[in-house]
Amino acid sequence: MIKLLKCEFMKTRRRYVFVTALVITAAMLAWIYPRHRSADLLRLGWMANLYELPLINSIFMPLLSIIVSSRLCDIEHKGAMLKQLAVTEKRGQIYDAKLLYGLAIMMFCVGLSWGMTIAFGYIAGFEGGPPIRLYLLYLLLTAAPTIAVYIFQHTLSLCFKNQAVTFFTGAIGTFFGTFSMFLPQLPWLRGSLIWGYYGALSFVGLFDWSKDDRYKLAHFDVIGVDWKFFAALIFICAAIYIIGREIFKRKEL
Amino acid sequence: MNEIVKTTNLTKRYKGAAAVSGLNMSVKEGRIYGFLGPNGAGKTTTLKMLLSLVRPTAGEIEIMGRRMNAENRIEILRGIGSLIESPSFYGHLTGEENLKILQTLLGVPKRNIDKVLRIVRLENQRGKKASAYSLGMKQRLGLAGALLSFPKLLILDEPTNGLDPSGIQEMRGLIKSLPKEYGMTVIVSSHLLSEIDQTAEDVGIISNGRMMYQGALDDLHRVDETKSLEEIFLDLTERERSL
Repeated sequence: MIKLLKCEFMKTRRRYVFVTALVITAAMLAWIYPRHRSADLLRLGWMANLYELPLINSIFMPLLSIIVSSRLCDIEHKGAMLKQLAVTEKRGQIYDAKLLYGLAIMMFCVGLSWGMTIAFGYIAGFEGGPPIRLYLLYLLLTAAPTIAVYIFQHTLSLCFKNQAVTFFTGAIGTFFGTFSMFLPQLPWLRGSLIWGYYGALSFVGLFDWSKDDRYKLAHFDVIGVDWKFFAALIFICAAIYIIGREIFKRKEL
Repeated sequence: MNEIVKTTNLTKRYKGAAAVSGLNMSVKEGRIYGFLGPNGAGKTTTLKMLLSLVRPTAGEIEIMGRRMNAENRIEILRGIGSLIESPSFYGHLTGEENLKILQTLLGVPKRNIDKVLRIVRLENQRGKKASAYSLGMKQRLGLAGALLSFPKLLILDEPTNGLDPSGIQEMRGLIKSLPKEYGMTVIVSSHLLSEIDQTAEDVGIISNGRMMYQGALDDLHRVDETKSLEEIFLDLTERERSL
């Protein structure tokens, strides 16, 4: 496995996968932060972040997953390398090594965006300090759906030569996942799509917001994590991994 | 002479249609075995089954005296070099970087990279990106990858496809030198009779997934001395089609 991971690193030379991932993460951060914040929002800043960011993540993290998985797997299809690798290495290990390498990039980006979120909070002058426990919980609940989405995209990218399949499926999923966040009355919709789990696992709610007063009287409160959704996500993650790996192992090259 | 490859009733069906049917292949060690057949005869499917890239519907495969199964598959296949359909390479990496990846995976000494680059005459192009190689150079890079571990058995599927006459000549010379210089057994497939005639010592002729003839190439010449090799080949393949 170590030598396969080492080879993954060697293969991505001149592919700029890591740089691409950083650019997308930077674009995400640039979209969120350099904007005017009212005094009310500065007061509520740390909690407001936890309320807003799952929506942003539901767009950018799946997009990042599509791009990273596709760039890592496409090199195998373009060069017809899978049939070469499959002769000397176990297929399950080929699947795992590529997945681990991609997930490492994804988790780095998740961690980076998390760290930058806190840094920007300080720079913007949010009142008080960040509620660290809640931010750690947010990190976990961002990483979990990202892992699920990435495993799904990785399987598609590895099994289909035509990367348009990966892009199309990922884009549709992202659309419905994000869309489901605007329909809080339909929690089952969020729970039925892996892309919807950014919303399904969000744990901060906005209260007393009004059109006239906007954030003057508003406050953000922890509404709690629906751990049933988290358990379902872990189950889905495992199922996608087991099924995806098996499909790849059985695929005729 | 030992058999390095032996298949028994090897069969592959796709949605009920047989691509390969009850194939009994026998390749002797240290020889060049030409696997000849028209396009779509089942050559690539057979070679892919030998390399476990395609799962046989029925039959058995024995390589280097060991019956292949899920447990020993990788161990056996690591002793085989292969070039199937088109050459495999990462276009964004140089020829040398491509071989470095294979060398890491195979766990063979680094000096093998220099050796194989010299054998396929790519030593002066080692720093060039593989995507910038000509078709012949890509084919030679694919062959270098297959040779990297200096395997006992080399499987080459239509290695001269798309090459110009001088490239074909060069590839032919290279293939012929392998058993003598490195003690390899080579299975080389082609749909071109002239190709096999000038390269192989033994031949297997396949048509519609069935083995029509197998034996020494010289014996095939003697099947009917009034006929040319081409006529004999056509007779064999036409016979199968008419069945």
